[in-house]
Amino acid sequence: MLKVENLARYFGGIKAVDGIDFDIHRGEILGLIGPNGSGKSTTVNLIAGLYAPTKGRVTYEGQDIQNLLPHERANLGIARTFQNIRLFGQLSVWQNLWAARVVRETGWSGLKERWFSTATQGKLETEAYLEFCGLQHKQDQLAANLAFGEQRRLELARAAISGAPLLLLDEPAAGMNSEEIDDLDKRICTLRDQGKTILLIEHHMELVMGVCDRVVVLNFGRKIAEGKPEEVQQDAQVQAAYLGSDSDDAFMQAALQA
Amino acid sequence: MDFYIGLLQVIGVHTLLGLSAWCILHTGQVSMAQGGFFAIGAYAAGMLTAMVGWSLGPALFIAALLASLIAIAIGFPALRVKGLMLVVATTAFAEIVRLVFFNLKWQVQTPNGPIGPDGGLGFGGIRYFPANAWSGFEILTLIWCLVAGVMLVLWLLDRSRIGTLWRAVGEDEVAAQSAGINLTAAKVSAFGIGGAIAGLAGGIFSHNTTHIEHGNFTILLATFAIAYPIIGGLKSLLGTLVAVVFIQGVLIEGLRFLGDWRSLLFGAMILAIMLIRPTGLLSAPLCFPQFNSKKNASVDDKKIGARHA
Amino acid sequence: MAWIDFLDLVQSVMDGVMFGATYALIGIGFTLIFGVMHKINLSYAAASVGAAYLSLLIVSVAPTPLVYLLAAVCGGLLGALIYFVCFKFLPLNQSLATLMSTVGMLLVLEEAIVHATAGMPQNYPALFADKVFNVGPFIVRGDLLFVFLLGCAVMVSLKFMLEKTRLGLATRAVAQQPIAAQICGMSIDQTNASTFVIAGFLGGTAGAMTGAAIGVLSPLLTLPLTVKGLVVTVIGGLGSIPGAILAGLIVGGAESLFQFVRGVSERDIYVMLMLFVFLVLRPNGLFAAPSGRE
Repeated sequence: MLKVENLARYFGGIKAVDGIDFDIHRGEILGLIGPNGSGKSTTVNLIAGLYAPTKGRVTYEGQDIQNLLPHERANLGIARTFQNIRLFGQLSVWQNLWAARVVRETGWSGLKERWFSTATQGKLETEAYLEFCGLQHKQDQLAANLAFGEQRRLELARAAISGAPLLLLDEPAAGMNSEEIDDLDKRICTLRDQGKTILLIEHHMELVMGVCDRVVVLNFGRKIAEGKPEEVQQDAQVQAAYLGSDSDDAFMQAALQA
Repeated sequence: MDFYIGLLQVIGVHTLLGLSAWCILHTGQVSMAQGGFFAIGAYAAGMLTAMVGWSLGPALFIAALLASLIAIAIGFPALRVKGLMLVVATTAFAEIVRLVFFNLKWQVQTPNGPIGPDGGLGFGGIRYFPANAWSGFEILTLIWCLVAGVMLVLWLLDRSRIGTLWRAVGEDEVAAQSAGINLTAAKVSAFGIGGAIAGLAGGIFSHNTTHIEHGNFTILLATFAIAYPIIGGLKSLLGTLVAVVFIQGVLIEGLRFLGDWRSLLFGAMILAIMLIRPTGLLSAPLCFPQFNSKKNASVDDKKIGARHA
Repeated sequence: MAWIDFLDLVQSVMDGVMFGATYALIGIGFTLIFGVMHKINLSYAAASVGAAYLSLLIVSVAPTPLVYLLAAVCGGLLGALIYFVCFKFLPLNQSLATLMSTVGMLLVLEEAIVHATAGMPQNYPALFADKVFNVGPFIVRGDLLFVFLLGCAVMVSLKFMLEKTRLGLATRAVAQQPIAAQICGMSIDQTNASTFVIAGFLGGTAGAMTGAAIGVLSPLLTLPLTVKGLVVTVIGGLGSIPGAILAGLIVGGAESLFQFVRGVSERDIYVMLMLFVFLVLRPNGLFAAPSGRE
């Protein structure tokens, strides 16, 4: 579905991403992990269109999306969430979802939507996603006033309501406790069951190992491993990347295999 | 009585000016160019009725259209600059417009003598209203019908998807882009609509005062234009109206008691209002992510802003 | 163009560049405040002119250098006042509100000047006005040269202050990470206030220099100076002091050039157009990374 080929992005002398290749297959949940600074967020920004690559390319459904602006990629089918939550703070919960839903309406029907129909497709979907993120009773509250966990759920719902088949989730579990992570796990699975494809960037290993079909590991901007979660876990290079190359440390090894 | 009619006329025109700024402010752009569009509308409408003999309706329409087109032309390069830079760029634009009219000399001969903009001396003789025997009250009605019409249109826009999209862009451009909102369309359309309203206001202004000159269109006017929605509160259209009434009313009423000190009072009043109710008189305005971007910046933010147009 | 005209042009531009030192100072003031608070203080130029007016209080009793010094000091005081009134109590994320409050301040200051002087321009003392140096075919006016050199001296001492003193370090730290700076024991309030005072010093000097170079002070100076100052800040790059310096000199020179070629009434049109060109080519200013598709 999405193909990343020899993608590179340099910031002056810093090679944030230095030639990576991977594919995302339709319907799968692909994890993208790696130590801090390994280029994960940069990769997501490259796919979403917020950066232009220095080298390489990204193709979506066979189409080279190089020259598409971020909103064009969103309309094409790639939606995302952000590491630092970016909601429309002064808009209500309802409006946050509505804004993302309403851009799918082309032409003047959107103008009519709000006023002249009581139960239109758009409104129904917005309500459905309100339920999805559990915020029906708070739909008129300003997004900035929500609790952190609620904001994360709202952002996820906003990405989902856009109807995009591919979701890029940038560290959605950051700052969450284990209950919230379980909840997130379920939501991601629900989205997958709805037919969405997901690229998940995360640090929380339990989440990654639990929910991902495959995992790609980056380090210093390069791909060092790819495969099923269990395989990647055993990979010596991955262990070295996360833990340092003192592989004589039996304790560390035992911990990793646990 | 005439005094109050005049006051209400001024309030009406300034409300339109404030509403034009309201549109643009919604998308997160602080534009000091409203004064420029106002001036363009004023001169264009004036020239059409006084020099070419058109009637008011078409003249106003063309004036608004012209101002709107120029606003759209400005809107595109405005996409490249953010925050303070946009303030400065639009200020510069407004100054250019003012200076162009300062230098503009173009007169036609009429039975009543030469009519037309005369450089620094201004453009007098825009006598459509007196020539067609409009009473002060009729002019007032026209102005306020226009105000009501514009407010209705903006209210409808705001409640519709366009308003939500404008606000989303004003809140967080990066998130808006990623949600599929076309930034260019949103921002340029706001400029265009704001420009049209300002042009309309200008056209009415020039006919109401019958004589305009470059000094009418200084940066101070542009500042008034954005002051009204900011002080009134960006979430509500009515707030702009309230702010205009409040400010112009006090300014002109204050004239009676304080004479020349009214401008000083105006300044102090703005200060006081901002200190007491920074969110505006009627409700909370939008915050501008651009001004704060350095504070919250992650690596993403700094690069992201440049990525459109 | 005849040789003599060309010489006149160069002369004119040279004078303009030296006068541009005043623009540079105003630009630095704007950029300093923006760099620290990420806000723009629109009343800055008005305060600078106001400070120069205040220094006129002692003009009949004090030697001229002291007058300039008083202008700088008054500038600092006005800066503190502006900080106190416009910025200290407003929540920092309400940028529109602070912008408006500085506009209010601008109006108050300008009107105060008009009322205090009944709108009449006041003569301002210049130093070395009667000295001229002949450098080849050109005449270097003593007073302009002094303005230029003083401006440079002020800029150098600012640089020194920012880089070598504790206050300078605190200023830069607070600008970059206010919360972390607080944790390290720096008082944001004090630092910001002192930044305003320093910027005010610069502004007062600039006001005095403008008065000295032109010969008179008038309330009509405030708006054009504000606009030019903003133009300089933007061309130089927001938050960049070297940028403001360079841009100030460029704007000063360009202004003279345009005036020579097209006359006073059209001069500013071209200055503004120049700004647009800069914005198109380098939207982040001279000394910031050029933006564009990455």
